[in-house]
Amino acid sequence: MTSADRRHQIGGADRPRHIGARVRRVEDRRLLSGAARYLDDIRQPGMLHLGFVRAQAAHARITDIDTSALADLGAEIRVFTGQDTSGLTIKAPAGHDPKSAALPDGHQGYWRMQDSEQPLLADGVVRFVGEPIAAVLAEDAYVAEDAAERIAVAYEALPVVATMAQAQDPSIPPIFAGWTSNVYIERQMAGGDLAAARAAAAHVIRRTYYNQRQAGVPMEGRGVVAAYDPADRVLTVWSSTQIPHLVRTYLAEELGFPESRLRVVAPEVGGGFGVKGQVFVEEVLVAWLALKTGRPVKWVEDRREHLVASIHARDHLHTLTAYVAADGRLLGLEADITVDVGAYSTFPFTAGGDPGMAAKVLPGPYDIPAYAATFRALATNKCPLGTYRGVARPSAVFSQERLMDDIAAEIGMDPIELRLRNVVRTFPYKNALGFSYDEGSYAQALERVRDLVAEDRAAARASRASATTRIGVGVACFIEQSSHGTPDFTRRRVPIETGYIAARVTMEPDGEVTVDIGLQNHGQGHETVMAQVAADALGVAPENVHVRQGDTLTTPYSVGTWGSRGGPLGGGAVHEAALKIAAKLKAIAAHLLQTDASRIALHGGRAVVIGNEGSYVEIRRLARIALRNVDQMPAGMEPGLEAQCSLDGPADGTYSNAVHAAVVEIDIATGKLRLRRFVVVEDCGTILNPLIVDGQVRGGVVQGIGSALLEHFIYDEDGQPLTTSFADYLMPLAPEIPNIEVHHIETPTPRTPLGAKGLGEGGAIGPPAAIANAVADALGVPVSATPLNANTLWTLAADIRAAAETDRDG
Amino acid sequence: MRPSSFRYHKAESVDHALELLARFGEDGRPLAGGQSLVPMMNLRLAAPEHLVDIGGLPLTDIAFTDTAMRVGALVRHRQYLAEPRVAHHFPALHEAVTWIGHPTIRENGTTGGSLSHADPTAELALAAMLYDAVMIVRNTAGERRIAAADFFEDAYVTALQPGEMLVAAEFPLPPVGAAGAFVEFAERRGDFAIAAIGVSITVADGRIATAAIACSGAEPRPIRAPEIEMMLSGRPLTDPQSRAAGRRLAAAIDPVGTFLTTADYRKALIGELTARAIDTACARAASR
Amino acid sequence: MTIDITLTVNGTARTVRVEPRRLLADVLRHDFALSGVHVGCAHGACGCCTVHVDGTPRLACLTFAVQCDGKAIHTVESLGGVDATHPLQQAFSIEHGLQCGYCTPGFLMTLAPFVDAMVAERRVPEDAEIREAMSGNICRCTGYHGIVAAVRRAVTEQIETGSAQP
Repeated sequence: MTSADRRHQIGGADRPRHIGARVRRVEDRRLLSGAARYLDDIRQPGMLHLGFVRAQAAHARITDIDTSALADLGAEIRVFTGQDTSGLTIKAPAGHDPKSAALPDGHQGYWRMQDSEQPLLADGVVRFVGEPIAAVLAEDAYVAEDAAERIAVAYEALPVVATMAQAQDPSIPPIFAGWTSNVYIERQMAGGDLAAARAAAAHVIRRTYYNQRQAGVPMEGRGVVAAYDPADRVLTVWSSTQIPHLVRTYLAEELGFPESRLRVVAPEVGGGFGVKGQVFVEEVLVAWLALKTGRPVKWVEDRREHLVASIHARDHLHTLTAYVAADGRLLGLEADITVDVGAYSTFPFTAGGDPGMAAKVLPGPYDIPAYAATFRALATNKCPLGTYRGVARPSAVFSQERLMDDIAAEIGMDPIELRLRNVVRTFPYKNALGFSYDEGSYAQALERVRDLVAEDRAAARASRASATTRIGVGVACFIEQSSHGTPDFTRRRVPIETGYIAARVTMEPDGEVTVDIGLQNHGQGHETVMAQVAADALGVAPENVHVRQGDTLTTPYSVGTWGSRGGPLGGGAVHEAALKIAAKLKAIAAHLLQTDASRIALHGGRAVVIGNEGSYVEIRRLARIALRNVDQMPAGMEPGLEAQCSLDGPADGTYSNAVHAAVVEIDIATGKLRLRRFVVVEDCGTILNPLIVDGQVRGGVVQGIGSALLEHFIYDEDGQPLTTSFADYLMPLAPEIPNIEVHHIETPTPRTPLGAKGLGEGGAIGPPAAIANAVADALGVPVSATPLNANTLWTLAADIRAAAETDRDG
Repeated sequence: MRPSSFRYHKAESVDHALELLARFGEDGRPLAGGQSLVPMMNLRLAAPEHLVDIGGLPLTDIAFTDTAMRVGALVRHRQYLAEPRVAHHFPALHEAVTWIGHPTIRENGTTGGSLSHADPTAELALAAMLYDAVMIVRNTAGERRIAAADFFEDAYVTALQPGEMLVAAEFPLPPVGAAGAFVEFAERRGDFAIAAIGVSITVADGRIATAAIACSGAEPRPIRAPEIEMMLSGRPLTDPQSRAAGRRLAAAIDPVGTFLTTADYRKALIGELTARAIDTACARAASR
Repeated sequence: MTIDITLTVNGTARTVRVEPRRLLADVLRHDFALSGVHVGCAHGACGCCTVHVDGTPRLACLTFAVQCDGKAIHTVESLGGVDATHPLQQAFSIEHGLQCGYCTPGFLMTLAPFVDAMVAERRVPEDAEIREAMSGNICRCTGYHGIVAAVRRAVTEQIETGSAQP
């Protein structure tokens, strides 16, 4: 069945016209004209501006906070410290439900984790550079910064845990009182008979791989405004967040404030990429300060704060052991995964999120009968780790796909052929851990890429004789579990708890449609896609659909936008809710046209009798009847056209797949890498809007290129951050980036209403592996770590230079 | 990331600017394009008490005499690219300017600002060293002429004294037919360079007559490489033995490593860039 | 210390009283209520805040408003109005050259003069040239692909229709 055929059958909707079309985004006008309102555009009368005094020591006891220099500032300043906010924290424990004790070990079960609580303002000890120590309120943002600069903090140094090795050194004391080591959590997961794999293996290949620490860096930083209205006792909090409802619940619980009187609004959000998918101390603090002072309070993060004190990502060290048969078949895989997750566990995915995810997904697209992993999260005096596009999967895929190339090199097999020999080909497939994969196109994608880069591979082989320029081609084949459902989180015992998205669809008396959805757009074009989906179900045009999100006052409770769930679950929820209204419209139309509802189709703004296009009722007339002229409705039918659907993810999620190929050219003398091509073949199931799918893939790929080549958040041995501005933290700029070629295979999933699988993160997952494989191919050396900056590549090319010298001198 | 308070003074003339700078001494800074100073102020790494806005002063021209090119302190980087005589007389300078930052920075950054800021890998500073430019510095007492080699003292440190202002840079015209090249290496185009090399040669009978080589990345300020310059003199354009020259320069320097770049890499890079710049300059001279 | 300055912003002259340290970006955002001026890094390294001062692109985070006394400023709001009708804005939409939109005004203000120059020369630039023209602007969402295509489209269409935006 082709995807087009399938779309005609999706959930019983009539004649899809907009789903799958390259519809221009409705968001664009306000974003292009400058009319869009981001967090910093929120202003309230009498608003105070918050500035932070942040820790300059990585691990220290605070011995004094001296505010005496504020006196000569000539402005009214209010200062708050940890004594004022005592007891208020970000709590992100895992597995404290006593029922969890009954669960078997395995998957991502995080129970019995050592807890950390991050105070809103330091509780006498600071644990990373950038941790908030004091909050300063002033009438003006410039003055707040003046005041923060004048507050002097005295420290007594404590032993700094700055590396993974130090975190595992028993002679260095834990950074939290009551802890027994600097390990938040260490767990195993396993499935299949690894002993048998070991016994049968013709080759045992063991490698260690590392991905560097990164920052996320949306172009708009974080920011929060809070205002309490004593008239109706409502606290409104505006935050540049991806998860407004989760922020609301956290604030209600932590501040003891009735959730019904809390309103969280995410305005236009200038990028998030997962960074804005946690609840931060600053959000709780700004809300608390607004209640405490009775004045609106605003905080807008500056770029240095963002780099040192939002969240970081990656910092994964993996050691993999592959047990391989003589013919290249993978018999078993063992993984040891260590992640430096920094100073505090983050809410809601916890310190276990990254290492657990890496352990869970490492079998990847391959049919590996036996698998065992040990994963651990280490506490260090660095910025906490949180979610950033791909969450652990860029690192897992880096290790998995570097390993495949290393195996291929060791046993003398073509790397694409090795992958084809091992990929899963029959679906649904249950992997060694018990996860069930829905239908995909793993082998087809590999074959397509093999064809697309055939000439580049020939050019790479031809460049082997060159002492000056080498070409290399690398591929990365991967799957991405997305749209996780509640059972996945129940297994993990983490505070996220669930993963559903709710949508409420309302048709107004004039026939226009409002969709209120619990996602929060931060660049994905939800307003466009959800309008396409609703339009198809209701037989109207996308222009007739107004999509609203981000405001807990108007949108139904949902977990927000993360984990690539917008299209499959958000789109699915809109579709299901709209179908309920469609059914009612059809019933009214059938009543008016004196036929059966099953004979009515909705399209082009009309309810039409199937097979008799001349017999119809305008949909807007039906809306008027349902809401105003209810006397014309069928007897006994309830007035109104409003429906809601809360759609949870399937138990094992959906599995998108993709193959990325990088073609690199390396200048042997300088280490300069040029990306000649970057090719993507991807399958995210039903494509809802190809314009947006391509945009998500390309944007993700370029972030992944940044991970592979440039972006590195560096600390020195004292835990001092060194890359605190855009002069040092290097992200891809346009001249270094090629056009990204994107090809699609469409294998709809039966697990979501529209057949869509998640795709927002996938672009960022493949590039580190594909580029590292291309570098290894070009230079003929193993590549075990990123970033592959020019200096590193120059070092890796040393043997080629030496050989050339020998040739010349000899 | 917003600056500390300062007092603002708009200079009505060069003399007025010099009076203001004399009055404020170490507490005063001239402000023109702001491309280097304002980031430092926003990060609160600099907090001058007085800023003297010289943006309106008539120091905006590139002027030529029979013997020199005089570049006003307020000449924007893009002006070098729009003036054909720059490329004609100073090809390496012209090429260097194309490497300065990004288009918007080249629109707004000034010659005086860049030279006075003295970033160790700034393109204009390297070009000033390469072409033996003379810095024209004034205060209320008069004018000083300082050779580029004496002007750049250390990273972000120049011979400018409190109350002084760079008003122009004077580039003596090389002999007719001089060729040149500028090569730079950075992780991304427009970044602060890891290393850069400028070469200028004069030619006689198919051979290099005289050569000048300037290098950034080796020391906290741009340097010349007189030994290499001597070595090149007399070599045929078709075989300048650039590799040997590059190796020799690399062996003679002792650059520092940073958290992004090792000293060894920088050393090797400078050797390689030297060879490439020499080859390019010779090829250009030969193709005339 | 405050100073009265007169700025002609998007064609309208107005005198405002500012502290000398106020960045042009903040004055445009607060005193002139221009939400299209975005601050991305406040240290001159991302291009989000690019506006035109007397017709030249300039980073509003590296400019004190007092330096602009008597000058003409244009922001993205002046480009194609609330309907974003400028050919480059339209091309951005068609080619999906924007996602979250935060960097977009800066790209538009950086690239609009480049597009005009290419149209005046009647020349469609190579991709590398387009990428160099936007090298001072960071976009974290699009991977630049759609922006390059948008510039190409805006130049091509205007050459074909024989009209350059004034």
